[in-house]
Amino acid sequence: MLADLIQNTLDGLTAGAAYALLAVGFTLIFGVLRRVNLSYGAAIMLGVYFATWTSHHFQVGLLALALLTIAGAVLAGTYVERLCFAPHYAARDLRTGASSSSIAAMVASFALWMQFEEAAILALPKHLYAFPPLYSGEPLRLGSFLLRVESLYLLAAAIAVCLLLHTILYRTRFGLAVRAVIDVPMAAQLVGMNVSSVFVRIFALASAIGGLAGFLIAASHEQVTPMLGMWSTIKGMLAMMLGGLGSLPGAVAGGLVLGLLEAHSQWYFGPQMRDLIAYLLIFVLLALRPAWMTRWTTIRSAS
Amino acid sequence: MDDYSIGVLTNIGLFSFLALSAYLLLIAGEMSFGQQAFFGVGAYTGAMFTAIYGMPLPLAALAAMASGAVVAVLVGLPTLRLRGLYFAMATLAAAEMARILFEMLHFQREINGELVGPDGTQGFRGIRWVFERGVEPLEYMALIYALLVAVLALFLWVERSRLGTTLRSVGADPELAASLGIDVTRLKLGVAAAAGALAALGGVLYAHHNTYIEPRNFDIMLGVHSLAYALIGGLGTAFGPLLGVLIDLGLLEGTRFFHAYRMIVFGGLVAVLLVFRPRGLLDERVVHWIHARAFKRA
Repeated sequence: MLADLIQNTLDGLTAGAAYALLAVGFTLIFGVLRRVNLSYGAAIMLGVYFATWTSHHFQVGLLALALLTIAGAVLAGTYVERLCFAPHYAARDLRTGASSSSIAAMVASFALWMQFEEAAILALPKHLYAFPPLYSGEPLRLGSFLLRVESLYLLAAAIAVCLLLHTILYRTRFGLAVRAVIDVPMAAQLVGMNVSSVFVRIFALASAIGGLAGFLIAASHEQVTPMLGMWSTIKGMLAMMLGGLGSLPGAVAGGLVLGLLEAHSQWYFGPQMRDLIAYLLIFVLLALRPAWMTRWTTIRSAS
Repeated sequence: MDDYSIGVLTNIGLFSFLALSAYLLLIAGEMSFGQQAFFGVGAYTGAMFTAIYGMPLPLAALAAMASGAVVAVLVGLPTLRLRGLYFAMATLAAAEMARILFEMLHFQREINGELVGPDGTQGFRGIRWVFERGVEPLEYMALIYALLVAVLALFLWVERSRLGTTLRSVGADPELAASLGIDVTRLKLGVAAAAGALAALGGVLYAHHNTYIEPRNFDIMLGVHSLAYALIGGLGTAFGPLLGVLIDLGLLEGTRFFHAYRMIVFGGLVAVLLVFRPRGLLDERVVHWIHARAFKRA
């Protein structure tokens, strides 16, 4: 009984670390632009497919695969930003919710998701492809419990990415620019800042994080399917919503909570209830919007 | 007309109901990611009424629309005061909950020696009310389009009325509309109920056309497609969403011209179109222009 609880917690942390990493990239875009990028997962999937395609045609090492995945995701992400988001920055309502420009950007990003998915299927038409494993040894034994080594990689990556982002946002000039743009986009533009270039760099950064997440996830699942795109978008979005929409520490917490919640509810109630409980929790949290959620939903002000 | 054309045209008609449902919320200023759930509620409710309880289709359609409206109000009550993207996310969560509940729904009864009814992820087979009455595909298509024309007429009438103006003013600026004495919350709840009923009507027609439905039919892909249809076609008139469906299902899928590259072409086309026309092809400006010209001639 207790043994199950502990083993489930370890499994939940493994999944949660992956969700956290996905959510950080998603949150970076949402927190800065207040826009939902539906093709976030599809760009990650395309990066993973780019690496898979290369590994099926050439002999490449793991590190090269990781870099290829990240490069592919960054390229795809930048393409999305330029085509779907950049044309709609001029609109004055950059910070409000469902303005028509944010709907247009979101629907456009969905259109490119469809494009990416078809491109991936055209490049590698089988349903499933093998991806080189990250670690081929035995899982770690902690007493009678098993912990996959991959989850340590994922957790380490999530923590490292958070520290790196914190440094970028609060210790560099670029970070200052980002926070100024979040505060008052209009004022940032008036003092001569290139808002569009800040956004494209944020997109590239978020896609690089997504690419890293995609590589680690594909290498720990040891396989890729086109479904990875939808899966990444949904899980990243769920974790982001649990973490309060827009907060980076919240995204990590949301990812871990989602992972733990899924592992335990799957064990006790089965896979359907697992998903139902996750969505119910998000629905209730969004509908009630408790005060603790709104308090840490934004990146700290530049002033 | 050959069977293939009838099939494509029927699908265009069916998904137009869903696109109009998304459009109705969009012009009232709300973006819903969850209209596919009401399409699903309508499909399941209507199919259960005809296949299990042996009721006629018109009665089943009314029941389906009522349940679509009720569920939409239940979802709308806690969520409609949320702003923009938060509402979109909440409706997405609600719609996915509905899909999972369809997966968990087992309610089979033996009808004429055969098990009929929803069977979880196995879906719901044998929705044969239309088929058993010998309704030809062409006749069923005519029925769908007759209903669609009625709905369109209602839309055009409402948009010309005071209610339509109120609706668009709430969509443009809810605070300003509220300060003019409009009960924004009640109006939006009404819009959500109407949109839910409309999607449910599409759903019940869809179920009886396909004779088989499964929870996967009502996933998020369908919801985002319906939003995209409304936005591509344009938010200026109720003909907009129809144009959106026509472009995707008619031009690209129907002609099979692009084969495997359909989504690459369609995706790129939509993204580029939205750069130049963020409120769709038939946006408010185009509609005004057409109206002005039409009145000058008359």
